[in-house]
Amino acid sequence: MSKTVVVSNVTKKFKMYKKPAEKLLDIILPKGYGEDFYAIQNISFEADQGDVIGIVGVNGSGKSTLSNLISGIIPPTSGTIELNGEVSLIAIASGLNNELTGRENIELKCLMLGFSKQDIKKLEPEIIEFADIGKFIDQPVKKYSSGMKSRLGFAISVTVDPDILVIDEALSVGDQTFADKCLDKMNEFKERGKTIFFISHSMGQVKKFCEKILWLEYGEVRDYGPMKEVLPKYQAFLKEYKAMTKEEKKRFKEQVQLKQSGKATPKKELQPTAEEK
Amino acid sequence: MISAFKVLKEQLNSFYLMMRLSMYELKIKNNNNYLGMLWEILNPAIQISVYWIVFGMGMRNNSNVGDVPFLQWLVAGIVIWFFISPAILQGSKSIYTRIKIISKMNFPLSVIPSYVIFSILYPNAMLLGIIAVIFQFTDKKISLYYLQLPYYMLAAVALVFSLSLITSTLSTIVRDVQMFVQSIMRMLFYVTPILWNPFENENLPKFLLYLVKANPFTYIVEGFRDALLSRGWFFENSQQSPHLEYTLYFWGLVLVLFLIGSTLHVKLRNRFVDYL
Repeated sequence: MSKTVVVSNVTKKFKMYKKPAEKLLDIILPKGYGEDFYAIQNISFEADQGDVIGIVGVNGSGKSTLSNLISGIIPPTSGTIELNGEVSLIAIASGLNNELTGRENIELKCLMLGFSKQDIKKLEPEIIEFADIGKFIDQPVKKYSSGMKSRLGFAISVTVDPDILVIDEALSVGDQTFADKCLDKMNEFKERGKTIFFISHSMGQVKKFCEKILWLEYGEVRDYGPMKEVLPKYQAFLKEYKAMTKEEKKRFKEQVQLKQSGKATPKKELQPTAEEK
Repeated sequence: MISAFKVLKEQLNSFYLMMRLSMYELKIKNNNNYLGMLWEILNPAIQISVYWIVFGMGMRNNSNVGDVPFLQWLVAGIVIWFFISPAILQGSKSIYTRIKIISKMNFPLSVIPSYVIFSILYPNAMLLGIIAVIFQFTDKKISLYYLQLPYYMLAAVALVFSLSLITSTLSTIVRDVQMFVQSIMRMLFYVTPILWNPFENENLPKFLLYLVKANPFTYIVEGFRDALLSRGWFFENSQQSPHLEYTLYFWGLVLVLFLIGSTLHVKLRNRFVDYL
Protein backbone atom coordinates (compact mmCIF):
# COMPACT_ATOMS: atom_id res chain seq x y z
CA MET A 1 0.00 0.00 0.00
CA SER A 2 1.31 3.40 -0.83
CA LYS A 3 1.79 6.14 1.69
CA THR A 4 -0.49 9.14 1.28
CA VAL A 5 0.61 11.25 4.22
CA VAL A 6 4.10 11.24 5.66
CA VAL A 7 4.61 13.59 8.56
CA SER A 8 8.19 13.76 9.77
CA ASN A 9 9.48 15.70 12.76
CA VAL A 10 6.87 18.38 12.46
CA THR A 11 6.86 21.15 15.01
CA LYS A 12 4.50 24.09 15.14
CA LYS A 13 5.52 26.96 17.32
CA PHE A 14 3.27 29.88 18.08
CA LYS A 15 4.38 33.07 19.68
CA MET A 16 2.47 34.51 22.59
CA TYR A 17 2.57 38.24 22.98
CA LYS A 18 1.42 40.30 25.91
CA LYS A 19 1.09 43.47 23.86
CA PRO A 20 0.76 44.10 20.12
CA ALA A 21 4.03 46.02 20.31
CA GLU A 22 5.82 42.77 21.10
CA LYS A 23 4.67 41.40 17.78
CA LEU A 24 6.49 44.22 16.07
CA LEU A 25 9.62 43.56 18.10
CA ASP A 26 9.43 39.92 17.09
CA ILE A 27 9.46 40.90 13.41
CA ILE A 28 12.26 43.40 13.74
CA LEU A 29 14.64 41.64 16.12
CA PRO A 30 16.68 38.94 14.41
CA LYS A 31 16.31 36.54 17.32
CA GLY A 32 12.61 37.17 17.75
CA TYR A 33 10.72 38.17 20.82
CA GLY A 34 7.91 36.79 22.90
CA GLU A 35 7.06 33.59 24.67
CA ASP A 36 7.10 30.39 22.66
CA PHE A 37 4.20 28.01 22.62
CA TYR A 38 4.65 24.62 21.02
CA ALA A 39 1.25 23.46 19.83
CA ILE A 40 2.85 20.50 18.07
CA GLN A 41 6.23 19.10 19.04
CA ASN A 42 8.28 16.83 16.86
CA ILE A 43 5.49 14.67 15.53
CA SER A 44 6.16 11.88 13.04
CA PHE A 45 3.71 9.39 11.61
CA GLU A 46 2.63 7.88 8.34
CA ALA A 47 -0.73 7.11 6.85
CA ASP A 48 -1.55 4.63 4.09
CA GLN A 49 -4.20 4.58 1.45
CA GLY A 50 -7.53 3.57 2.87
CA ASP A 51 -6.57 4.39 6.42
CA VAL A 52 -9.17 5.93 8.66
CA ILE A 53 -7.31 7.56 11.48
CA GLY A 54 -9.04 8.95 14.51
CA ILE A 55 -7.19 11.78 16.19
CA VAL A 56 -8.02 11.91 19.87
CA GLY A 57 -6.78 13.89 22.83
CA VAL A 58 -8.05 16.24 25.50
CA ASN A 59 -8.65 19.93 24.79
CA GLY A 60 -5.54 21.80 23.82
CA SER A 61 -3.58 18.76 22.78
CA GLY A 62 -3.05 20.11 19.28
CA LYS A 63 -5.69 18.21 17.32
CA SER A 64 -6.95 21.17 15.37
CA THR A 65 -3.45 22.48 14.80
CA LEU A 66 -2.48 19.12 13.37
CA SER A 67 -5.53 19.07 11.11
CA ASN A 68 -4.69 22.56 9.87
CA LEU A 69 -1.12 21.45 9.23
CA ILE A 70 -2.19 18.40 7.27
CA SER A 71 -4.62 20.39 5.16
CA GLY A 72 -2.00 23.00 4.46
CA ILE A 73 -3.76 25.94 6.03
CA ILE A 74 -0.80 26.74 8.21
CA PRO A 75 2.82 25.90 7.45
CA PRO A 76 4.90 23.93 9.96
CA THR A 77 7.67 25.74 11.82
CA SER A 78 10.02 22.86 11.14
CA GLY A 79 9.80 19.39 9.68
CA THR A 80 8.03 18.25 6.55
CA ILE A 81 4.62 17.01 5.58
CA GLU A 82 4.48 14.98 2.41
CA LEU A 83 1.09 14.63 0.80
CA ASN A 84 0.17 12.49 -2.17
CA GLY A 85 -3.12 13.87 -3.38
CA GLU A 86 -5.63 16.60 -2.77
CA VAL A 87 -6.59 17.39 0.80
CA SER A 88 -9.96 18.67 1.89
CA LEU A 89 -10.69 19.94 5.37
CA ILE A 90 -14.16 19.87 6.80
CA ALA A 91 -14.71 22.00 9.82
CA ILE A 92 -17.96 23.53 11.01
CA ALA A 93 -19.06 26.14 8.45
CA SER A 94 -15.59 26.37 7.04
CA GLY A 95 -15.22 28.92 4.31
CA LEU A 96 -18.87 29.78 3.85
CA ASN A 97 -19.75 33.39 3.22
CA ASN A 98 -22.69 34.56 5.28
CA GLU A 99 -23.98 37.12 2.79
CA LEU A 100 -24.20 34.75 -0.15
CA THR A 101 -26.77 32.05 -0.77
CA GLY A 102 -25.93 28.39 -0.47
CA ARG A 103 -25.83 28.00 -4.23
CA GLU A 104 -23.45 30.92 -4.63
CA ASN A 105 -21.29 29.58 -1.85
CA ILE A 106 -20.99 26.31 -3.70
CA GLU A 107 -19.64 28.07 -6.77
CA LEU A 108 -17.36 30.30 -4.73
CA LYS A 109 -15.87 27.43 -2.77
CA CYS A 110 -15.40 25.29 -5.87
CA LEU A 111 -13.73 28.17 -7.69
CA MET A 112 -11.34 28.63 -4.83
CA LEU A 113 -10.56 24.96 -4.83
CA GLY A 114 -9.50 25.38 -8.44
CA PHE A 115 -12.37 23.80 -10.36
CA SER A 116 -13.24 24.86 -13.87
CA LYS A 117 -16.58 26.24 -15.00
CA GLN A 118 -17.73 22.91 -16.48
CA ASP A 119 -16.72 20.93 -13.40
CA ILE A 120 -18.69 23.25 -11.18
CA LYS A 121 -21.79 22.91 -13.31
CA LYS A 122 -21.56 19.17 -12.94
CA LEU A 123 -20.81 19.21 -9.22
CA GLU A 124 -23.47 21.69 -8.15
CA PRO A 125 -26.55 19.41 -8.36
CA GLU A 126 -24.64 16.62 -6.60
CA ILE A 127 -23.72 18.92 -3.74
CA ILE A 128 -27.24 20.28 -3.41
CA GLU A 129 -28.63 16.78 -3.33
CA PHE A 130 -26.21 15.62 -0.68
CA ALA A 131 -26.70 18.67 1.52
CA ASP A 132 -30.47 18.18 1.31
CA ILE A 133 -31.47 21.51 2.80
CA GLY A 134 -34.40 22.14 0.47
CA LYS A 135 -35.42 25.68 -0.34
CA PHE A 136 -32.74 27.12 1.90
CA ILE A 137 -30.16 26.56 -0.82
CA ASP A 138 -31.22 29.90 -2.33
CA GLN A 139 -31.24 31.73 0.99
CA PRO A 140 -28.24 33.60 2.40
CA VAL A 141 -26.12 31.39 4.62
CA LYS A 142 -26.59 33.76 7.56
CA LYS A 143 -30.14 32.47 7.83
CA TYR A 144 -29.00 28.87 8.14
CA SER A 145 -29.04 26.90 11.34
CA SER A 146 -25.67 25.55 12.45
CA GLY A 147 -26.78 22.10 11.32
CA MET A 148 -27.52 23.36 7.82
CA LYS A 149 -24.18 25.11 7.64
CA SER A 150 -22.30 21.98 8.53
CA ARG A 151 -24.40 19.97 6.06
CA LEU A 152 -23.57 22.33 3.23
CA GLY A 153 -19.91 22.50 4.24
CA PHE A 154 -19.70 18.75 4.43
CA ALA A 155 -21.52 18.27 1.13
CA ILE A 156 -19.13 20.58 -0.68
CA SER A 157 -15.99 19.07 0.79
CA VAL A 158 -17.15 15.52 0.15
CA THR A 159 -18.37 15.99 -3.40
CA VAL A 160 -15.19 17.60 -4.66
CA ASP A 161 -13.70 14.13 -4.29
CA PRO A 162 -10.47 14.70 -2.37
CA ASP A 163 -7.82 12.02 -1.86
CA ILE A 164 -7.26 12.92 1.75
CA LEU A 165 -10.08 14.07 3.96
CA VAL A 166 -9.68 15.82 7.30
CA ILE A 167 -12.84 16.03 9.37
CA ASP A 168 -12.60 18.33 12.35
CA GLU A 169 -15.57 17.84 14.67
CA ALA A 170 -17.85 18.63 11.76
CA LEU A 171 -20.25 15.81 12.51
CA SER A 172 -21.03 16.85 16.02
CA VAL A 173 -23.67 19.38 14.98
CA GLY A 174 -25.59 17.31 12.45
CA ASP A 175 -28.49 15.12 13.54
CA GLN A 176 -28.30 11.35 13.62
CA THR A 177 -29.63 10.78 10.10
CA PHE A 178 -27.17 13.18 8.56
CA ALA A 179 -24.31 11.77 10.61
CA ASP A 180 -25.24 8.31 9.34
CA LYS A 181 -25.33 9.62 5.77
CA CYS A 182 -21.88 11.08 6.25
CA LEU A 183 -20.57 7.88 7.76
CA ASP A 184 -21.91 5.98 4.74
CA LYS A 185 -20.14 8.37 2.42
CA MET A 186 -16.94 8.03 4.37
CA ASN A 187 -17.16 4.28 4.32
CA GLU A 188 -17.44 4.55 0.56
CA PHE A 189 -14.29 6.68 0.54
CA LYS A 190 -12.55 4.15 2.72
CA GLU A 191 -13.32 1.41 0.24
CA ARG A 192 -12.02 3.53 -2.58
CA GLY A 193 -8.70 3.81 -0.82
CA LYS A 194 -8.82 7.37 0.43
CA THR A 195 -7.18 8.46 3.64
CA ILE A 196 -9.41 10.00 6.24
CA PHE A 197 -8.47 11.83 9.41
CA PHE A 198 -11.29 11.98 11.86
CA ILE A 199 -11.18 14.33 14.81
CA SER A 200 -13.87 13.86 17.36
CA HIS A 201 -14.61 13.80 21.03
CA SER A 202 -17.37 11.31 20.48
CA MET A 203 -15.85 7.96 21.36
CA GLY A 204 -18.86 6.22 19.84
CA GLN A 205 -18.24 7.65 16.38
CA VAL A 206 -14.51 7.01 16.63
CA LYS A 207 -15.06 3.43 17.65
CA LYS A 208 -17.59 2.81 14.91
CA PHE A 209 -15.54 4.27 12.17
CA CYS A 210 -11.81 4.45 12.73
CA GLU A 211 -9.21 1.74 12.26
CA LYS A 212 -6.24 3.53 13.68
CA ILE A 213 -5.93 6.00 16.49
CA LEU A 214 -3.45 8.83 16.83
CA TRP A 215 -3.44 9.89 20.45
CA LEU A 216 -2.09 13.36 20.96
CA GLU A 217 -1.07 14.62 24.33
CA TYR A 218 -0.02 18.24 24.61
CA GLY A 219 1.54 18.47 21.22
CA GLU A 220 3.16 15.06 21.15
CA VAL A 221 2.17 11.65 19.91
CA ARG A 222 1.36 9.62 22.99
CA ASP A 223 0.43 6.56 20.99
CA TYR A 224 -0.30 5.56 17.42
CA GLY A 225 -1.64 2.21 16.39
CA PRO A 226 -4.70 0.08 15.66
CA MET A 227 -7.92 1.28 17.21
CA LYS A 228 -8.35 -1.82 19.35
CA GLU A 229 -5.02 -1.30 21.06
CA VAL A 230 -4.90 2.44 21.52
CA LEU A 231 -8.47 3.39 22.27
CA PRO A 232 -8.78 1.37 25.50
CA LYS A 233 -5.57 2.99 26.72
CA TYR A 234 -6.93 6.42 25.91
CA GLN A 235 -10.19 5.68 27.65
CA ALA A 236 -8.30 4.44 30.67
CA PHE A 237 -6.29 7.64 30.67
CA LEU A 238 -9.46 9.71 30.49
CA LYS A 239 -10.84 7.89 33.49
CA GLU A 240 -7.62 8.40 35.39
CA TYR A 241 -7.53 12.06 34.42
CA LYS A 242 -11.06 12.54 35.67
CA ALA A 243 -10.24 10.85 38.93
CA MET A 244 -7.22 13.04 39.63
CA THR A 245 -7.40 15.29 42.63
CA LYS A 246 -7.17 19.02 42.15
CA GLU A 247 -3.54 18.98 43.27
CA GLU A 248 -2.58 16.31 40.78
CA LYS A 249 -4.38 18.06 37.98
CA LYS A 250 -2.56 21.24 38.80
CA ARG A 251 0.78 19.51 38.74
CA PHE A 252 -0.07 17.82 35.47
CA LYS A 253 -0.95 21.15 33.91
CA GLU A 254 2.24 22.75 35.16
CA GLN A 255 4.31 20.05 33.52
CA VAL A 256 2.39 20.55 30.36
CA GLN A 257 2.96 24.26 30.38
CA LEU A 258 6.65 23.77 30.90
CA LYS A 259 6.71 21.32 28.05
CA GLN A 260 4.81 23.49 25.64
CA SER A 261 6.86 26.58 26.31
CA GLY A 262 9.82 24.59 25.01
CA LYS A 263 11.84 24.97 28.19
CA ALA A 264 11.97 21.32 29.06
CA THR A 265 13.03 18.45 26.87
CA PRO A 266 9.92 16.41 27.44
CA LYS A 267 10.40 12.79 28.40
CA LYS A 268 13.58 12.98 30.43
CA GLU A 269 12.36 15.60 32.84
CA LEU A 270 9.03 13.96 33.22
CA GLN A 271 10.50 10.81 34.71
CA PRO A 272 11.42 12.10 38.17
CA THR A 273 7.94 13.41 38.74
CA ALA A 274 6.54 10.08 37.67
CA GLU A 275 8.73 8.35 40.23
CA GLU A 276 7.57 10.70 42.93
CA LYS A 277 4.11 9.41 42.45
CA MET B 1 12.34 39.41 -10.88
CA ILE B 2 11.34 35.78 -10.51
CA SER B 3 8.60 36.72 -8.06
CA ALA B 4 7.32 39.36 -10.46
CA PHE B 5 6.90 36.73 -13.19
CA LYS B 6 5.32 34.37 -10.69
CA VAL B 7 2.73 36.95 -9.68
CA LEU B 8 2.01 37.88 -13.29
CA LYS B 9 1.60 34.22 -14.24
CA GLU B 10 -0.83 33.67 -11.38
CA GLN B 11 -2.88 36.63 -12.55
CA LEU B 12 -3.11 35.30 -16.08
CA ASN B 13 -3.79 31.71 -15.08
CA SER B 14 -6.63 32.56 -12.77
CA PHE B 15 -8.34 35.15 -14.90
CA TYR B 16 -11.73 33.43 -14.92
CA LEU B 17 -11.50 32.85 -11.17
CA MET B 18 -10.68 36.52 -10.70
CA MET B 19 -13.68 37.66 -12.72
CA ARG B 20 -16.13 35.40 -10.89
CA LEU B 21 -14.77 36.26 -7.48
CA SER B 22 -14.96 39.97 -8.19
CA MET B 23 -18.61 39.61 -9.25
CA TYR B 24 -19.36 37.90 -5.95
CA GLU B 25 -17.44 40.56 -4.10
CA LEU B 26 -19.64 43.19 -5.66
CA LYS B 27 -22.72 41.21 -4.79
CA ILE B 28 -21.71 40.77 -1.15
CA LYS B 29 -21.12 44.49 -0.84
CA ASN B 30 -24.47 45.57 -2.22
CA ASN B 31 -26.64 42.74 -0.97
CA ASN B 32 -27.85 44.44 2.15
CA ASN B 33 -28.81 47.79 0.65
CA TYR B 34 -32.23 48.23 -0.87
CA LEU B 35 -30.87 50.56 -3.53
CA GLY B 36 -28.03 48.14 -4.25
CA MET B 37 -25.88 49.16 -7.18
CA LEU B 38 -27.55 52.56 -7.36
CA TRP B 39 -25.30 53.64 -4.50
CA GLU B 40 -22.30 53.34 -6.79
CA ILE B 41 -23.70 56.39 -8.61
CA LEU B 42 -25.50 58.18 -5.80
CA ASN B 43 -22.42 58.35 -3.61
CA PRO B 44 -20.18 60.05 -6.18
CA ALA B 45 -23.01 62.37 -7.20
CA ILE B 46 -23.41 63.61 -3.64
CA GLN B 47 -19.67 64.08 -3.21
CA ILE B 48 -19.28 65.91 -6.50
CA SER B 49 -22.05 68.35 -5.66
CA VAL B 50 -20.49 69.15 -2.29
CA TYR B 51 -17.07 69.76 -3.86
CA TRP B 52 -18.64 71.87 -6.59
CA ILE B 53 -20.37 74.08 -4.06
CA VAL B 54 -17.39 74.45 -1.73
CA PHE B 55 -14.45 74.56 -4.13
CA GLY B 56 -16.15 75.78 -7.30
CA MET B 57 -18.72 78.28 -6.17
CA GLY B 58 -17.27 79.06 -2.78
CA MET B 59 -13.57 79.39 -3.49
CA ARG B 60 -13.29 80.39 -7.14
CA ASN B 61 -16.61 82.03 -7.95
CA ASN B 62 -17.31 79.26 -10.43
CA SER B 63 -14.70 80.59 -12.85
CA ASN B 64 -13.67 78.37 -15.72
CA VAL B 65 -10.57 76.21 -15.74
CA GLY B 66 -9.10 77.02 -19.13
CA ASP B 67 -12.12 76.93 -21.41
CA VAL B 68 -14.02 74.35 -19.37
CA PRO B 69 -16.56 75.04 -16.59
CA PHE B 70 -15.18 74.07 -13.17
CA LEU B 71 -17.84 71.42 -12.63
CA GLN B 72 -16.97 69.63 -15.84
CA TRP B 73 -13.24 69.89 -15.13
CA LEU B 74 -13.84 68.50 -11.64
CA VAL B 75 -15.96 65.60 -12.85
CA ALA B 76 -13.50 64.62 -15.59
CA GLY B 77 -10.72 64.33 -13.04
CA ILE B 78 -12.51 62.99 -9.99
CA VAL B 79 -14.22 60.08 -11.74
CA ILE B 80 -11.15 57.84 -11.60
CA TRP B 81 -10.49 58.87 -8.01
CA PHE B 82 -13.72 57.09 -7.11
CA PHE B 83 -11.90 53.98 -8.25
CA ILE B 84 -8.39 54.69 -6.99
CA SER B 85 -9.21 55.62 -3.42
CA PRO B 86 -11.49 52.69 -2.45
CA ALA B 87 -9.38 50.28 -4.51
CA ILE B 88 -6.24 51.13 -2.55
CA LEU B 89 -8.02 51.04 0.80
CA GLN B 90 -9.81 47.75 0.12
CA GLY B 91 -6.82 46.33 -1.68
CA SER B 92 -4.50 46.86 1.24
CA LYS B 93 -6.80 45.11 3.68
CA SER B 94 -7.83 42.46 1.19
CA ILE B 95 -5.49 39.74 2.37
CA TYR B 96 -5.80 39.85 6.13
CA THR B 97 -9.59 40.02 6.04
CA ARG B 98 -9.88 37.00 3.76
CA ILE B 99 -7.01 34.70 4.51
CA LYS B 100 -9.09 32.67 6.96
CA ILE B 101 -11.72 31.88 4.36
CA ILE B 102 -9.19 30.99 1.75
CA SER B 103 -8.30 27.85 3.48
CA LYS B 104 -6.05 26.22 0.95
CA MET B 105 -2.50 27.15 0.29
CA ASN B 106 -2.68 26.35 -3.41
CA PHE B 107 -5.06 29.22 -3.96
CA PRO B 108 -2.89 31.91 -5.54
CA LEU B 109 -2.89 34.59 -2.86
CA SER B 110 -1.79 37.32 -5.24
CA VAL B 111 -5.21 37.05 -6.87
CA ILE B 112 -6.91 38.38 -3.74
CA PRO B 113 -5.94 42.04 -4.15
CA SER B 114 -6.61 41.90 -7.87
CA TYR B 115 -10.14 40.53 -7.60
CA VAL B 116 -10.96 43.06 -4.93
CA ILE B 117 -9.65 45.80 -7.20
CA PHE B 118 -11.68 44.53 -10.13
CA SER B 119 -14.83 44.47 -8.04
CA ILE B 120 -14.40 48.22 -7.61
CA LEU B 121 -13.52 48.79 -11.25
CA TYR B 122 -16.85 47.55 -12.70
CA PRO B 123 -19.10 50.14 -11.05
CA ASN B 124 -16.48 52.78 -11.82
CA ALA B 125 -16.56 51.91 -15.52
CA MET B 126 -20.34 52.25 -15.34
CA LEU B 127 -20.00 55.64 -13.70
CA LEU B 128 -17.54 56.70 -16.39
CA GLY B 129 -20.03 55.64 -19.06
CA ILE B 130 -22.79 57.74 -17.50
CA ILE B 131 -20.47 60.74 -17.22
CA ALA B 132 -19.43 60.34 -20.86
CA VAL B 133 -23.09 60.38 -21.90
CA ILE B 134 -23.77 63.52 -19.86
CA PHE B 135 -20.73 65.19 -21.43
CA GLN B 136 -22.35 64.89 -24.86
CA PHE B 137 -24.70 67.70 -23.82
CA THR B 138 -21.77 70.06 -23.22
CA ASP B 139 -19.20 71.71 -25.51
CA LYS B 140 -16.75 68.86 -25.06
CA LYS B 141 -18.25 66.06 -27.11
CA ILE B 142 -16.92 62.64 -27.93
CA SER B 143 -13.68 62.63 -29.92
CA LEU B 144 -10.83 60.33 -30.85
CA TYR B 145 -9.22 61.28 -27.54
CA TYR B 146 -11.80 59.04 -25.83
CA LEU B 147 -9.77 56.11 -27.10
CA GLN B 148 -7.31 56.88 -24.33
CA LEU B 149 -9.82 56.05 -21.60
CA PRO B 150 -9.10 52.29 -21.58
CA TYR B 151 -5.39 53.06 -21.58
CA TYR B 152 -5.63 55.32 -18.55
CA MET B 153 -7.88 52.85 -16.82
CA LEU B 154 -5.28 50.16 -17.37
CA ALA B 155 -2.67 52.54 -16.00
CA ALA B 156 -4.80 53.10 -12.90
CA VAL B 157 -5.29 49.36 -12.38
CA ALA B 158 -1.57 48.67 -12.82
CA LEU B 159 -0.61 51.34 -10.32
CA VAL B 160 -3.23 50.37 -7.77
CA PHE B 161 -2.40 46.68 -8.06
CA SER B 162 1.34 47.27 -7.59
CA LEU B 163 0.68 49.44 -4.57
CA SER B 164 -1.80 46.95 -3.13
CA LEU B 165 0.74 44.15 -3.37
CA ILE B 166 2.97 46.16 -1.07
CA THR B 167 0.34 47.47 1.31
CA SER B 168 -1.66 44.24 1.57
CA THR B 169 1.47 42.34 2.53
CA LEU B 170 2.61 44.90 5.06
CA SER B 171 -0.82 45.40 6.60
CA THR B 172 -1.21 41.65 7.11
CA ILE B 173 1.93 41.69 9.22
CA VAL B 174 1.41 45.03 10.93
CA ARG B 175 -2.23 46.11 11.05
CA ASP B 176 -1.25 49.75 11.62
CA VAL B 177 -0.20 50.00 7.99
CA GLN B 178 -3.88 50.12 7.10
CA MET B 179 -4.33 53.23 9.23
CA PHE B 180 -1.26 54.75 7.63
CA VAL B 181 -2.60 54.05 4.15
CA GLN B 182 -5.90 55.64 5.11
CA SER B 183 -4.37 58.92 6.14
CA ILE B 184 -2.00 58.97 3.18
CA MET B 185 -4.94 58.56 0.82
CA ARG B 186 -6.82 61.38 2.48
CA MET B 187 -3.77 63.57 2.02
CA LEU B 188 -3.23 62.50 -1.58
CA PHE B 189 -6.75 63.55 -2.46
CA TYR B 190 -5.70 67.15 -1.88
CA VAL B 191 -2.17 66.84 -3.25
CA THR B 192 -3.47 65.44 -6.51
CA PRO B 193 -4.96 68.15 -8.76
CA ILE B 194 -8.56 67.03 -8.38
CA LEU B 195 -10.22 69.96 -6.62
CA TRP B 196 -7.75 72.69 -7.53
CA ASN B 197 -5.55 73.34 -10.52
CA PRO B 198 -1.91 73.95 -9.59
CA PHE B 199 -0.95 74.48 -13.23
CA GLU B 200 -2.90 77.73 -13.60
CA ASN B 201 -1.34 79.29 -10.52
CA GLU B 202 1.82 81.16 -11.51
CA ASN B 203 2.80 82.05 -7.94
CA LEU B 204 3.25 78.42 -6.96
CA PRO B 205 6.91 77.55 -6.25
CA LYS B 206 8.51 75.36 -8.91
CA PHE B 207 9.37 72.51 -6.55
CA LEU B 208 5.75 72.21 -5.46
CA LEU B 209 4.72 71.75 -9.07
CA TYR B 210 7.32 69.02 -9.45
CA LEU B 211 6.02 67.39 -6.30
CA VAL B 212 2.48 67.42 -7.66
CA LYS B 213 3.70 65.91 -10.90
CA ALA B 214 5.86 63.29 -9.20
CA ASN B 215 2.66 61.94 -7.66
CA PRO B 216 1.68 59.15 -10.08
CA PHE B 217 -2.01 59.77 -9.44
CA THR B 218 -1.63 63.17 -11.09
CA TYR B 219 -0.70 61.35 -14.29
CA ILE B 220 -3.92 59.36 -14.22
CA VAL B 221 -6.23 62.18 -13.19
CA GLU B 222 -4.78 64.58 -15.76
CA GLY B 223 -4.86 61.79 -18.32
CA PHE B 224 -8.58 61.33 -17.79
CA ARG B 225 -9.02 65.04 -18.36
CA ASP B 226 -6.93 64.87 -21.52
CA ALA B 227 -9.25 62.16 -22.80
CA LEU B 228 -12.63 63.42 -21.63
CA LEU B 229 -11.94 67.08 -22.43
CA SER B 230 -10.07 66.33 -25.69
CA ARG B 231 -6.84 67.97 -24.54
CA GLY B 232 -4.07 65.71 -25.87
CA TRP B 233 -2.49 62.28 -26.27
CA PHE B 234 -0.34 60.43 -23.78
CA PHE B 235 2.44 59.93 -26.36
CA GLU B 236 2.52 63.55 -27.53
CA ASN B 237 5.70 65.42 -26.75
CA SER B 238 5.97 69.16 -27.00
CA GLN B 239 7.65 71.93 -25.06
CA GLN B 240 4.52 72.83 -23.10
CA SER B 241 3.29 69.30 -22.46
CA PRO B 242 6.00 66.64 -22.30
CA HIS B 243 3.47 63.83 -22.20
CA LEU B 244 5.77 61.12 -23.44
CA GLU B 245 8.39 61.77 -20.77
CA TYR B 246 5.69 61.78 -18.16
CA THR B 247 4.30 58.50 -19.49
CA LEU B 248 7.73 56.90 -19.30
CA TYR B 249 8.21 58.18 -15.76
CA PHE B 250 4.83 56.79 -14.72
CA TRP B 251 5.44 53.30 -16.10
CA GLY B 252 8.94 53.23 -14.70
CA LEU B 253 7.52 53.96 -11.27
CA VAL B 254 4.81 51.32 -11.65
CA LEU B 255 7.44 48.77 -12.62
CA VAL B 256 9.56 49.55 -9.56
CA LEU B 257 6.52 49.36 -7.27
CA PHE B 258 5.45 46.09 -8.86
CA LEU B 259 8.90 44.55 -8.41
CA ILE B 260 8.99 45.58 -4.75
CA GLY B 261 5.41 44.45 -4.19
CA SER B 262 5.74 41.04 -5.79
CA THR B 263 9.04 40.32 -4.04
CA LEU B 264 7.54 41.21 -0.66
CA HIS B 265 4.37 39.26 -1.39
CA VAL B 266 6.05 36.06 -2.58
CA LYS B 267 8.60 36.17 0.21
CA LEU B 268 6.09 36.55 3.01
CA ARG B 269 2.90 34.90 1.81
CA ASN B 270 3.64 31.50 3.30
CA ARG B 271 3.67 33.08 6.69
CA PHE B 272 0.53 35.21 6.35
CA VAL B 273 -1.56 32.86 8.46
CA ASP B 274 0.93 33.07 11.30
CA TYR B 275 0.34 36.80 11.57
CA LEU B 276 -3.40 36.58 12.14
